[in-house]
Amino acid sequence: MTELALDIRAISKSFAEHTAVDGLSLAIPKGSVYGLLGPNGAGKTTTIRMILNIIGPDSGSISIFGSPNTDRRVIDRVGYLPEERGLYKKMQVRRALRFLAELKGVSGREADHRIVWWMERLALKTPEKDWGLAKIDELSRGMQQKVQFIGTLLHDPDLVILDEPFSGLDPINAQALKDVMVELKQRGKTVIFSTHLMDNAERLCDSVCIIARGKKVLDGTIATVKAEHGANTVALSVSSGREVIAAMLRGDPAVERVDDQNRYFEVTLRRDADKQALLRAIVATGVEIERFEVVQPSLHQIFLEKVGATGVEPGMTGHG
Amino acid sequence: MDRLMAVIKREYLERVRTKWFIISTIFGPVFLAVIMVLPGLLTVRNMRAIQVTDFRIIDATGSGLGERVARTLRDRAERDPARIAAAEAGTALDQLAETEVVPTPADGVAAAESTATADVMAGVTRGYMVIDSATLSSTGKARYAGKNASSIAEMNQIEAALRGALVSQRLEAAGINSVRADSISRVRADMETERITSNGRGGSGLVSAIFGFVIAFLLYMMIILYGQNILRGVLEEKTTRVAEVVISSISPETLLAGKVIGVGAVGLTQQLIWLGFAVGIGTYGMAMATASGAVAFTLPTVTVFQMVALILYFLLGYTFYAALFAAVGAMCSSQEEAAQASQPVIMLLVAAVIMVQPIMTNPTGTLGTVMSILPFSSPIIMPLVMSGTQVPAWQIATSLGGLLLACLGAIWVSARIYRVGLLMTGKRPSMKELMRWIRYA
Repeated sequence: MTELALDIRAISKSFAEHTAVDGLSLAIPKGSVYGLLGPNGAGKTTTIRMILNIIGPDSGSISIFGSPNTDRRVIDRVGYLPEERGLYKKMQVRRALRFLAELKGVSGREADHRIVWWMERLALKTPEKDWGLAKIDELSRGMQQKVQFIGTLLHDPDLVILDEPFSGLDPINAQALKDVMVELKQRGKTVIFSTHLMDNAERLCDSVCIIARGKKVLDGTIATVKAEHGANTVALSVSSGREVIAAMLRGDPAVERVDDQNRYFEVTLRRDADKQALLRAIVATGVEIERFEVVQPSLHQIFLEKVGATGVEPGMTGHG
Repeated sequence: MDRLMAVIKREYLERVRTKWFIISTIFGPVFLAVIMVLPGLLTVRNMRAIQVTDFRIIDATGSGLGERVARTLRDRAERDPARIAAAEAGTALDQLAETEVVPTPADGVAAAESTATADVMAGVTRGYMVIDSATLSSTGKARYAGKNASSIAEMNQIEAALRGALVSQRLEAAGINSVRADSISRVRADMETERITSNGRGGSGLVSAIFGFVIAFLLYMMIILYGQNILRGVLEEKTTRVAEVVISSISPETLLAGKVIGVGAVGLTQQLIWLGFAVGIGTYGMAMATASGAVAFTLPTVTVFQMVALILYFLLGYTFYAALFAAVGAMCSSQEEAAQASQPVIMLLVAAVIMVQPIMTNPTGTLGTVMSILPFSSPIIMPLVMSGTQVPAWQIATSLGGLLLACLGAIWVSARIYRVGLLMTGKRPSMKELMRWIRYA
C-alpha cells in the first residue's frame, strides 16, 4: 500500500445554520493529482480549511504525511492557494512574496532566489520589465493570481492544495498553471485541487472525489470511476430529424437521461437496458444516423448523475 | 518565533516606509505645537494687546467715579508692557480711543441708556457701562452692555479698572490725596508657583502641569492614532483575503501579536524621534532663554520611577486599546462599518480625555483618583495626576495592576473574536453571536 499524503477520517463540521461537512473520509496517496469535485456549497472549502487547520473539525481526524495536522511542522510542508485570492495591495510584489515565504520558515535570502526563479518562469520578470518591483495593486488580476500562486510554492511544499485554481484565469495562464501542476506531480509532490469544472478534473486528475451536501458521493481513480459508470452511455448523432429523435428518446423507458450536446446526444441508459433494442427503435423512426457509439461517460455525466440525485442544498452559496 | 518576527518586521517596515509616517513624524510636533501652544499664546496676546478704552460710561454716581475709571483704564493701557515694548521697538501704535464719560442725573439713566444703545448699534461706540449709587455701595454693582460683552478678557479689564477706581475713591474719602490714592490702588501681584514633592522642590507648578498635560495628550494621540492604524490593518487583511493565506501558515494569535507589537514599535520610533527633537530644542531653547534672562524656569524633574511608570502606562494602555481595535476590525467587513463599530472604543478614550481639564485643576480630587485607577482611563489620567502631585505608591500599583489585568482580558477576548472574525464575511455579528465566538473559538 502506498503511503498516504492525506488521511481524513470521518470529519464533520457544523456551523450555526447548517452542516457543512458530514462524516467525510478521504485517503489521498502520495504523488497523485487529486480532484475534489462538488457543486457550490458542497463543503469543499470547509474541508480544505480543516485540512490546513484554519478551522478545527467538530469530530474526526486529519493527518498529513502521517502526522496530525495540528503539528505546525507538517503544515509547513503544505502550500495553499485559497479560493478568494488577495495580497497586501500596497506592498511591493517581492516583499509580499518574501513575507509569505518567511511565514513558512524560508529564510529571506533563500526566498529571494526562488522568487526570481518563479517570476521568470511565469513571465512576471522579463528582460524588459520586472513586475517584482511594482506594487501588487499595479498588477492586472491575472498577474496577481500568478503572484499568489508563486507564494503558494515558494517553500517547495510536498502537498499543494489549490482551491478553485482555474477560476478567473485566461487560457494562457490556465495552461501555465496546469503545466506547473503536472511538473509538481512528476517531482513526486501531491496536488489536491477543488473545482467544479469537470473538464479540467478529467484531464488532470489521477483520482477524484465528488462531494455534495458535505458527504462523499463517490471517489476513486478516474479509470475506476469511469468503468463503474461505463458501458451504458451512447453517443448519438443524426443528420436530420433531431426533434423526432429527441422526443423518441424522452419517451423510451430504457433511457435514464438525455443530454443534448448540440452536435450529438449523450444518452444514459438504465443499467440493464438493451442497446440493440434502442438502435432498432431509432432506425425504425427513419432518420439518418451519423453516429451510434457506446462511450465511457464523461466525468461531467457521472457528476450530474450522482449529484443530481442528492442535489445542491437550496439557498447555500459561496463557500463550498 | 521567527514567524512572529516576520509579521512584526512586515508591520513595522511597511508602515515606516510610507509617506504618511514621514510626514506625520515631521509635522506631528509642529501640529501639536500649533494646536496646544497657539490658543494659549493668542489668549495671552489678546489680553495684553487689547486695551479697552473705546466705550461710554454713563455716570449717575455724581461723584466723578466715571472720570476716574476712564483715567485708570488709560493709565493701565499706557503701562501695558506689550505697548511699551512695541513703542521701544518703534512700531506704530494704535491710537488709544478716548473713553467717553457722560455724567447723568439718577433719573436720566434710562434716556442715556437708550441713546447709548442706539449709538452702539450705529457703531459710534462699542458699548456702555452704567454706574450709579449701587456701585458706590458695598455691593459695587455696575452694568455693561455692548458688542464686546462676551469677551471675558475685555470685561475683566473694565472690571479691574472699576475696582481700582473704587479703591482710590474710598482712599480719597478716607483723607488720602487723589494722586497718592491712585498710586496705591495701582498695586500689582504676580504669584509664582512651585511644586514640592517628597524629593524636595519639583520645579514650577505651572510647568509641571503643562508637562503632565502634554504627556497625557501625547499618550491619547498615540493610542488613538495607532489603535486605529491596527484596525485598518486588520480590516485590510480581512477585506483583501490575505488573512486566509497568512493564517494557513501561522496561528491568528501570532498574527495578532505581531501586528500589535509591530505597530507599537512604529509608535515608539515616532516618539523617540520626537523626544530627540524635544531634547534638542529644549536644550537650545533653554540656553537661549537663560542667556537673554527672559525666563528662568526649571523643567520638572522626572524620577526613574516615574519614567518607568510612564513607559508602562504607554505600553499597557496601547496594548489594551490595540487589542480592542483589532477585535473591532475583525468583526467588520468595511471601513464604514468599522468606523461605526469602533465608536464605543473611542468613547472610552474620549471619556478619559474630557476629564483631563477638570482633573488638571484638582489632581488630588475624587474624580482624579478614580479615573487614575480605572483601567480604560488610567493610561491617560495617571501620568497627568503623577506630574501634578505626589501619588501614593499603592495607588500606582493598584492602577497598573488593574490595567495589566484589563490588558490580558482584552487580549484574550480579542484573540478569540479575531480567530473567528477573520474568515467571516457578511454582516456584523450581533452581541449574542459575539459571545458565542468568544466562548467557542
